[in-house]
Amino acid sequence: MHIRAPKDFWSGLMFLAFAAVTLVTSSGYSMGRGGRMGPGYFPTLLGAVLVLLGLILVVRSLATEGEAIQRIEMRPLSILTLCVILFGVMIQPLGLVIALTVTTFIAAFAGPDVRLKEAALLSTGLTLIATIIFVFALRLPLPIWPNL
Amino acid sequence: MMDVFANIGLGLSVAATFQNLAYCMLGTLLGTIVGVLPGIGPVTTVAMLLPISFTLEPTSALIMMAGIYYGAQYGGSTTAILINIPGEPSSVVTSLDGYQMARQGRAGPALGIAALGSFFAGCVATFVIAFGAPPLAKLALQFGPAEYFSLMLCGLVAAIVLARGSVIKAIAMVVLGLIFGLAGSDVNSGIRRFTFGFQGLADGIEFVALSMAIYGVSEVAINLEKKDEEVGVVSTVGSVWPSFADIRYCMPSILRGTALGSVLGVLPGGGALLAAFSAYTLEKKVAKHPRRFGEGDIRGVAAPESANNAGAQTSFIPMLTLGIPSNPTMALMIGALMVHGITPGPRVLIDRPDLFWGVVASMWIGNLMLVVLNLPMVGIWVRLLRMPYRMMFPAIVGFCCVGTYTINGNVTDIAVMAFFTIFGYLCLKLDCEPAPLILGFVLGPMMEENLRRALLISRGDPTIFVNAPISLTFLVAAALLLLIVAAPAIRARREEALAE
Repeated sequence: MHIRAPKDFWSGLMFLAFAAVTLVTSSGYSMGRGGRMGPGYFPTLLGAVLVLLGLILVVRSLATEGEAIQRIEMRPLSILTLCVILFGVMIQPLGLVIALTVTTFIAAFAGPDVRLKEAALLSTGLTLIATIIFVFALRLPLPIWPNL
Repeated sequence: MMDVFANIGLGLSVAATFQNLAYCMLGTLLGTIVGVLPGIGPVTTVAMLLPISFTLEPTSALIMMAGIYYGAQYGGSTTAILINIPGEPSSVVTSLDGYQMARQGRAGPALGIAALGSFFAGCVATFVIAFGAPPLAKLALQFGPAEYFSLMLCGLVAAIVLARGSVIKAIAMVVLGLIFGLAGSDVNSGIRRFTFGFQGLADGIEFVALSMAIYGVSEVAINLEKKDEEVGVVSTVGSVWPSFADIRYCMPSILRGTALGSVLGVLPGGGALLAAFSAYTLEKKVAKHPRRFGEGDIRGVAAPESANNAGAQTSFIPMLTLGIPSNPTMALMIGALMVHGITPGPRVLIDRPDLFWGVVASMWIGNLMLVVLNLPMVGIWVRLLRMPYRMMFPAIVGFCCVGTYTINGNVTDIAVMAFFTIFGYLCLKLDCEPAPLILGFVLGPMMEENLRRALLISRGDPTIFVNAPISLTFLVAAALLLLIVAAPAIRARREEALAE
């Protein structure tokens, strides 16, 4: 077996994976009858359609030529995802100022050229602006400082 | 007829208050800025400003968000013409002829005709909304669950047909979006679906977290992989007023672009992007000397610029009258209105005429502001573009995080955002368009609810969808759309086979 269209093949697998999770999870919900649809009816229907579509993509990717996947660079994606997670971990215990400064500073490392001084200045400035806009101007209920 | 003018009068009285004028201007300015800056689009901006809109009156919030959307179309064209970098995807075609004009020293007229064409299209589109929306809303008031279900199905099919790339992938993305949309408590049974034991998912996947992840953070990750492109510089802009001959030469193109854009904007999955591409293709087809396109033909600027602005505006019609978004930006606006307790749909026109007509009138005012304010400020926009991306993207990521958190003050939303950042990145790498997913996500719960109600009424008899005439019309339209998209594929394959 030879994969001729990698983009189609892998997206097909991705859809199949989501379909499997959907079908397994919704098997726990009652299906109901046509006139009284249960909570499992619509998701099961959608899951089945998604299986079909995923299979078509996978089978077709073995039969017809398609584009190759461009190189996946792990650095930007992993650093940015880490930033989002860090923000989530820090926002409630440490407050907006610390969470945002750290997040934006680390985010700068996702780029090809990092300039430490510039990144530090930028994250400080951004945090200042964000605090003024969100907390003082809009009065959104955000913790500013660590919750001791 | 008189009604329409009375209504526009009401709209003007709402839109012309000091507060709303200020938000309209703020929106159009912000829109122009994001239009100029590559790598940040109207969806991300509207999403980032969602927390701000919660503190505003709904009318002002919608006026500002609308301004961002059509303002971005203006800003995108400026950089497309001057330095061959389209700030927005919908300005890609403008750069083909616009940049060539700039290189020939005709940057001024190119910018001028883009602005005038957009303004003209904006005026026409405002009237299209004013005349078209009320009858549509009246019709929609008679819709039962069966009609709504078929309408949404038709809308999703249209979104699939209009998506770029593989049709199967687009269908799969819609279905996946529908599934994501179902997460959370089921209205009828109270059962929590797809929450996997997480308390924070009881209310479902937060739409803002999803869109910020895909259109904000994933986009940044993709952009960072691209190598820096050479930025050409155009020194002189000169007079921005096109000559009378230019205007007369372009008038048919502007008219065609406006008409095409107004129609395509209404379609689900349509909007500014599709309008601009189609208008350019149409111009090439009807022109006597199509070879001139791509070498600085002013019609190649006028038509797509008129079309994208018209499309941006008429895409408000299905959102305001049917409650169905035609693109991700509209979906966000629905979200913003829901927070204020307003469910977009045919009732808005009756219950909140001030909101509806205020927003419509503000579009016209906003378009005028864009012409008056933007042309003299071209120099500032170009300087803004010199801002390096390495200074922009940490800000985008930071604001996306804060924006998502402020919606519910819920850490689960941030976790959802992290998950969809990776998911969005994979989709972009695998050429799976996110727009159909977003539409499916928004429509998922509504579709299930209407399917359930329709089948309850008919006692489980599925023929209810075919027996109601309006519902049948939508289903036939959906089937026709699918046939159209299938046909060229069949033809192309047959040609391939013949060539071998």
